[in-house]
Amino acid sequence: MKRTGTEKQKRGAVLIAALFVLPVLFVAASLFFGRYPLPVKEVFSALLHPQTAAAATRVTVWQLRLPRALAAALVGASLAVSGAAFQSVFRNPLVSSGILGVSNGAGFGACLGIVFCGGGVWIYLLSFICAVSAVVLSWFAGRISRVTTTITMILGGTIVSAFFSALVAILKYVADPYSQLPSITFWFMGSFASIGYTHLIAAVPMLLGMGLVFLSRWKLNVLSMGDKEASALGVDVRRCQLLVIGGATLCTAAAVCICGTIGWVGLVIPHIGRMLIGNNNQKLIPVSISLGACFMVLMDFLARNLTGAEIPIGILCALVGTPFFVYLLKKTKGGVWV
Amino acid sequence: MILSVEHLSFSYDNTPLLCDLSLTVSKGEIVCLLGPNGSGKTTLLDCVLGFRRDFSGSITVDSRDVRTFSRPELAQRIAYVPQLHTPTFPYTVREAVLMGRAAHTGLFGAPGKEDEALCDAAIRRVGIEALSNRAYTSLSGGELKLVLLARALAQQTALIVLDEPTASLDFKNELLFLDTLASLAKEEGIGVLMATHALQHPFQLEGRGLPVQAVMLSRGETARCGAPGELLTPQTMLDVYGVNAAVVETADLHGNTVKTIAVLSGTASQETI
Repeated sequence: MKRTGTEKQKRGAVLIAALFVLPVLFVAASLFFGRYPLPVKEVFSALLHPQTAAAATRVTVWQLRLPRALAAALVGASLAVSGAAFQSVFRNPLVSSGILGVSNGAGFGACLGIVFCGGGVWIYLLSFICAVSAVVLSWFAGRISRVTTTITMILGGTIVSAFFSALVAILKYVADPYSQLPSITFWFMGSFASIGYTHLIAAVPMLLGMGLVFLSRWKLNVLSMGDKEASALGVDVRRCQLLVIGGATLCTAAAVCICGTIGWVGLVIPHIGRMLIGNNNQKLIPVSISLGACFMVLMDFLARNLTGAEIPIGILCALVGTPFFVYLLKKTKGGVWV
Repeated sequence: MILSVEHLSFSYDNTPLLCDLSLTVSKGEIVCLLGPNGSGKTTLLDCVLGFRRDFSGSITVDSRDVRTFSRPELAQRIAYVPQLHTPTFPYTVREAVLMGRAAHTGLFGAPGKEDEALCDAAIRRVGIEALSNRAYTSLSGGELKLVLLARALAQQTALIVLDEPTASLDFKNELLFLDTLASLAKEEGIGVLMATHALQHPFQLEGRGLPVQAVMLSRGETARCGAPGELLTPQTMLDVYGVNAAVVETADLHGNTVKTIAVLSGTASQETI
């Protein structure tokens, strides 16, 4: 059926509004729930009049729940948008944000921080640096061959990932099994438990990276036609790839370094987006950002509230996300993938 | 003159492939590149499209060396219809055709209202309006080729380069594609450079009242160029393909003479037909 112009515009306006409003609603809602029980009225008054609210309420809402919800939203959006971007750049719907070795690179950096530098800020710093270095290595490995660079780049990513996971194994082997090894294990499960406002410095690379991908989003369509066709269509493929991969790497590295590895989001959120609004990256990129943010805030909410002890978020994402994905697949009958 | 190739030579690892090749494509003219597998048709197209830069001789587009253009600049002058397109994501036909506007948008740009209008015009021109909202991965081979042609048309170039556009199409779709291409050359004045294995194509296009040049490539030898009638003779077939062939004249429904090539036997002998 053909839609009329105004109807289409109306739908577009509703979609854009939903994209902005939904994550804000999710973040706001997550402020009202947590392990420390607070009446709804008190949370409202703490939000509206922080000066007059009880100290415990104020600290819980403003210092604990808000930075945590904001970080979750940013991390979810970053992982989802980089997954969507990589899928188009590598013309492969099975690719996710970790394809160029970001996760294992970050993991190695975090292990270095835990084992040799006594943890703390070093974990974040080293994991960010190692995550970016892993991608740079994959990029250059991909350029060894002059033809079919996207395939060799994926191969490069696989090699670099394997290399860094071997390094991680070495560090696990030498780590103190009573203090350092558990820290490493928990880091790999992902968590927002220790997030405060200082961690939100990572928002700078995340927003910058998301911005780069967002600006290049229509060109992602053209890139997914393959190097040769994209060039013939007038796109400087090398420069465009560099911008998109650079942006996606900045936001994934920043996301992984503050909360540990959280798999799955970068693969599945873009696909949920594809099932909902189609494959046009012009819409898919903003939709992935918004959905990723909502999904991660929701998962963190569940992680905090489902059980007495906090469930690591990486585990939860996979546990809740997989059945939901199967449900969507069934509902849309594979949707656009036929 | 849009495209001019002069004394072009190209070698793979010191094995000569293209030798001293010269051709020109003008407005509204169709140049058919013929020749056996491995005779360098795709390589020549790659040189023209700026993908290969290590050739000797000169290739000029709008009187400027092809190697001096940036990607967007070249794509504003030459559009490309690939032989084999492997789709990954099921974009709609309209989204796929709109990608033809990439050369006219900036680094962070996206197509605007004007681009969308041009895209819709290209879709109408090629006659695939009914497919606009379909996933382009769900189309038949013939329909997909028309989508790629519409995308090239949306690019608004003076020259369209096609690599064996009808290789996988059935008779009817092949004719439909040739008709569409011929009307673009005739009515929009677009120059066409097309590699093809079908030796009757030059005759068929000539029969539609277009200026047609045929170029016969042969590995490592100087190419032969000329009007289809002069070039495509039994002797050329024998020299280049090593087959016995005949040029057959027949009449279409309107009584016009139509020429075609009939291959008679595979073994090379000197019998004349």
